[in-house]
Amino acid sequence: MLNYSTTQGLKNALRTFGNIKNSTALRSAKYSTNVNRSNESKDIESPEESTLRSHLDVKPIDYTNNAPVNPKKKRPLLSDSKYESKLYQLPKWKEALGEIVIKSFNLDMDKVRAGPVAGSYYYALCKEQGLQFENEPLSSTAKFFYEDLKLPRTFSQWFQVTILHEWILFVRMRAMPFKYGKNYQQKLVDRTFSDIELRLFDEMNVNSGRIADQYLKDFNSQLRGAVFAYDEGFFTDDATLAAAIWRNLFGGRKNVDMVHLEAMVRYVRAQLYVLSKMSDREFAMGGFKFVPPDETVHQLSPQQEAEMRNAVIEKYQAMDKKPDLLPSERSKLSFEN
Amino acid sequence: MSGAVREAASQLVKSLERLPQERVKHIVSLKESQLERFKPVAGLETNTQDSKQRPSLQDIKDIISRTSGPLGLQKDVLKKVNSMLPQEHYTVEAIQEQSQALNNLLNNKYKNYYAVGEKLMKPQGNPHYYQRLMDEIDGKKKETFWTAMRTVVFGK
Repeated sequence: MLNYSTTQGLKNALRTFGNIKNSTALRSAKYSTNVNRSNESKDIESPEESTLRSHLDVKPIDYTNNAPVNPKKKRPLLSDSKYESKLYQLPKWKEALGEIVIKSFNLDMDKVRAGPVAGSYYYALCKEQGLQFENEPLSSTAKFFYEDLKLPRTFSQWFQVTILHEWILFVRMRAMPFKYGKNYQQKLVDRTFSDIELRLFDEMNVNSGRIADQYLKDFNSQLRGAVFAYDEGFFTDDATLAAAIWRNLFGGRKNVDMVHLEAMVRYVRAQLYVLSKMSDREFAMGGFKFVPPDETVHQLSPQQEAEMRNAVIEKYQAMDKKPDLLPSERSKLSFEN
Repeated sequence: MSGAVREAASQLVKSLERLPQERVKHIVSLKESQLERFKPVAGLETNTQDSKQRPSLQDIKDIISRTSGPLGLQKDVLKKVNSMLPQEHYTVEAIQEQSQALNNLLNNKYKNYYAVGEKLMKPQGNPHYYQRLMDEIDGKKKETFWTAMRTVVFGK
């Protein structure tokens, strides 16, 4: 009941994989593979490729403090709760009890799902993007941020990377029905701050509650400022979005590389494009993953888009019609938009 | 600095001047800071107040390298300071790349290519969200006490 594994969602359709050939097996599952390889246009490349192409040579790029997180005690990705560990299997009787409760009280599952999907799954996605520890190899996305874009490896930089990704999700959540979208946003923010508080104590070795509170207030105002600036940039033009990214993600440093800035704008816009092609239902069920920076998102042709939409509609219509659909799998969110 | 670099940099400065003015004043401005950075490369005068009052990076480097022990600093400390100061070596290629990237941004290349449509621009849950934000920033329609209270109570 509480297990929301990622479905191979729509987003895969928008990617191009270098190593996967269009085999017939993949073709049959139309909306989950690379239907749009043919749409490749030459001047669109992945953000990582274009960053590496830059010839601007500035050394050292950033002379601020470089302090990788060096925890005494490392926290799990989400929480200490056994329910959020990957290995945990809910006993069958608990699962059945849950279903009975949902059915008898007629719980609104779209509302209930906000916790496990936005608060847990989506937060973990955002958190992972820029996660870094001293003496530990970086993930490939983190490499893009800290090595290719040469951002300083600090805790507050991690926070900036995280809120950029959260904002990308906020944009999509606003397009959900108000009641649900708001709830998803709230859960994501709540989780962010409760997690940061624990990380400050456990991993950043902050011992005083007063100092931790100060940091949290600081992070809160950073979040508000960033969301405002990104919203403005998203709605107006690329140059404004670039300026917002420069002020927040790049810390407003003078010796910035415009090619890096361009790559980040492309990265953000590409994620939003993928989200705009996703239905409410699929997004709310946790079917989204960020497109890694070394992959390119290409535009869909109207025909491919229609094809994908039909596949999604078919899938969920069949699901809703199933007589033995569990009460916890029910949803009223639209799968047609 | 060679003529070709200067030529490329002046092209870049021209593009930088096309960057839109910020609607809200921030502590730092992308346009101002980059103009300040590339105008000297293009051989143009920087005329911001700030740059006149404060010594430029060039001045500081000059002071450090002019004498053997400026400010009574030890040799190894000097070395450290020098290695911490950003060294920028511009080539024609690098500067042209900068202009190219900037022009892509100015032409809204990605906003147009990755067009998200009405679905995200006028989100179903809160259709006037962005318009209200822009009206407030541009000063077209200010938020009043009552509209603000409405947002607090109802969320939109």
